[in-house]
Amino acid sequence: MRRGLGTGLVGGLATVLLAVGTPAGAYHTHFKSTCTSGYFNDNPVTRSAARNYAYVAAAEGYQWGGGCWNDNNTDDSPGDPTQDPNTNGEGPDCSGLTFKSWWERSETGDPWFRYHSAMQNTHGPYTAADFKYGTGAPNVTVAKANTVYMDAFASTYHVGMIYWANTAFNQDRIIEAKCEACGSGTWPRTYRGNPDYSGARRLYWSG
Amino acid sequence: MRKTWRWPLAGFLLGGLVGATFLTVNVVGASSPIVPPARAASFGEVLHTPPLLARVGKAVELSYGVVCGVVGDKPGGSCTPNGAVFVRAAGEAGFRKLPLEPEPGGLLSAVVPAGDADRGFDYYAAIDNGRGQSSTLPEAGAAAPQHVWPLETWTTVDVGAPRFGEFRPPSSVVGGFGWGRGDGALGLDSGRQQSRIGPSAFDVAPDGSVVVLDQVNQRLVRLRSGRKPSQLPIAFAGGEGDLAVGGDGTIYVLEVSGKPLLRSFSPAGAPISAGPLADPVADMVRAGPSGPIVHAFPSEMWLPAGGDRRPLTAAQQLRRAQPARTVEGGLEVVVHASAAEVDLALVRGDRTVRAWALRGPASFGEVQLAEPYGDGLVVVVRLWDERHAEFRVLRLAPGGVASTFTVAPGEWAETASLSRFRVHGDTLYQLRSRRSGAEIATYEIGGKR
Repeated sequence: MRRGLGTGLVGGLATVLLAVGTPAGAYHTHFKSTCTSGYFNDNPVTRSAARNYAYVAAAEGYQWGGGCWNDNNTDDSPGDPTQDPNTNGEGPDCSGLTFKSWWERSETGDPWFRYHSAMQNTHGPYTAADFKYGTGAPNVTVAKANTVYMDAFASTYHVGMIYWANTAFNQDRIIEAKCEACGSGTWPRTYRGNPDYSGARRLYWSG
Repeated sequence: MRKTWRWPLAGFLLGGLVGATFLTVNVVGASSPIVPPARAASFGEVLHTPPLLARVGKAVELSYGVVCGVVGDKPGGSCTPNGAVFVRAAGEAGFRKLPLEPEPGGLLSAVVPAGDADRGFDYYAAIDNGRGQSSTLPEAGAAAPQHVWPLETWTTVDVGAPRFGEFRPPSSVVGGFGWGRGDGALGLDSGRQQSRIGPSAFDVAPDGSVVVLDQVNQRLVRLRSGRKPSQLPIAFAGGEGDLAVGGDGTIYVLEVSGKPLLRSFSPAGAPISAGPLADPVADMVRAGPSGPIVHAFPSEMWLPAGGDRRPLTAAQQLRRAQPARTVEGGLEVVVHASAAEVDLALVRGDRTVRAWALRGPASFGEVQLAEPYGDGLVVVVRLWDERHAEFRVLRLAPGGVASTFTVAPGEWAETASLSRFRVHGDTLYQLRSRRSGAEIATYEIGGKR
């Protein structure tokens, strides 16, 4: 009797843990479940307002393919498996942060402005390469030498916006969503002189 | 027969119940969104690039940008900042207040007249964001202000046209690695539509061994001539960092993701200490004569972090912050660069000992390295146009350029922003990468350090 009970106990425990525990454990914070869908069209918008908006994302998390973050200066879903949007963690990725900080619209033919709540879970239609090549009605390329703050440097694999140009060592402080282990922040970078990167600009800022 | 399966079935159901309870308490509980309350509206950040060096006879403009903290998750994050800079000419006791005036583009600025700037001056800014919140930059204010050194004489150096593609080959390659996790590899954090982050930094130890920060694999890799590389596992949080090796072999590792943190390790990799930095952003750690110093933002000051087992507190770091990097012999190295010109100086106290101004037809990028060398400096600076880049190495003597050569960028993977080069003895070391992996290349500089 006891042997049968014990065997069944082990079998039942193993079955439940393997069948349910493995997939459940892979999605461990579910930050995304707190995201919202808040947005509205807005006009006009200045570069300064865009930088203030982007600043909220600094010190928050990074989520590949993600798009919502709060304002507590903490990565609320650290260490997620990379390259998987289904991990549902906090933060944007590089192109998602640029899309939202540039107040762009999901309709790629519409160049005007849209406010996306930081907690709105949206990534937008553009990749880093799209920004590099000026894809979409609001986006154009610009010579790197002519860029100003809240323009961007974009490669085929990454994009970051100019937060403050020209440090004493002649770097640029870039506001960007960098990597899962890095999170999002305002780090000094040397993208301006790197041939992989091109200058990118959002059109129609009001100042 | 019924009795033979009754107990196993009961056990199976009981086990399932126990498992489900365990998962409910642990996994589902952990999966519940834990969202700390949004922080109270912050000041935001004051942005400023210190001029550091100014020609005698010319006024100096001090400009500040202000990033306003957003109140709530809604638009309207703008603010109407105002404030003043407090300026003290070198040798004077008190600070004089200069109001900051609004400029186009949202900047605030004040002009220090030539007469006040000619001896050099200390300064700090106090800015109110119009919402009752204020910020001082540098944060310690009058206790540790920024400084501008006067340039009365300097040596102008024309670096000439770039030679994109005509690079000097390395004298040697100290170590070559593929990408990966094994003993013969260095970590690469990358993927589709994502940055390519390789080893962040390296330095050369007093014994000539090279220490590489393989932060992706959370380890240090030490390269000694004629030996296999050795791996030293370390604690490292975040994706990027910097590294410096002190004169006693102590290894300093700066973590720059999130809140910057400086860790120290023995030459064998044993942890010694760890302490947070006072500023929210940092890019460089260097070994100074009195211990590690960290270049931090938004102050652009060098923060001493404490050279022993007791890291300095944030308040101590801010009060002892220095505008220039202290090196041996009571000297400090000052760098201020733009696309059009690179100004470099060796200073002692308030006095400019020697200065150079680099000019040329191409755009200057970042100054990767500026180290005392002989009676001058060895400098590595990027030259670039929209499609090309090179690193120009210049050995600067009091009268001009003693020698120069060009190095290929080798920047397929990212390192820390200013940690691609180091000098040890008469040799320049470069951490460079390509699609297949990374390596440490060396170049003989010429002359004597």
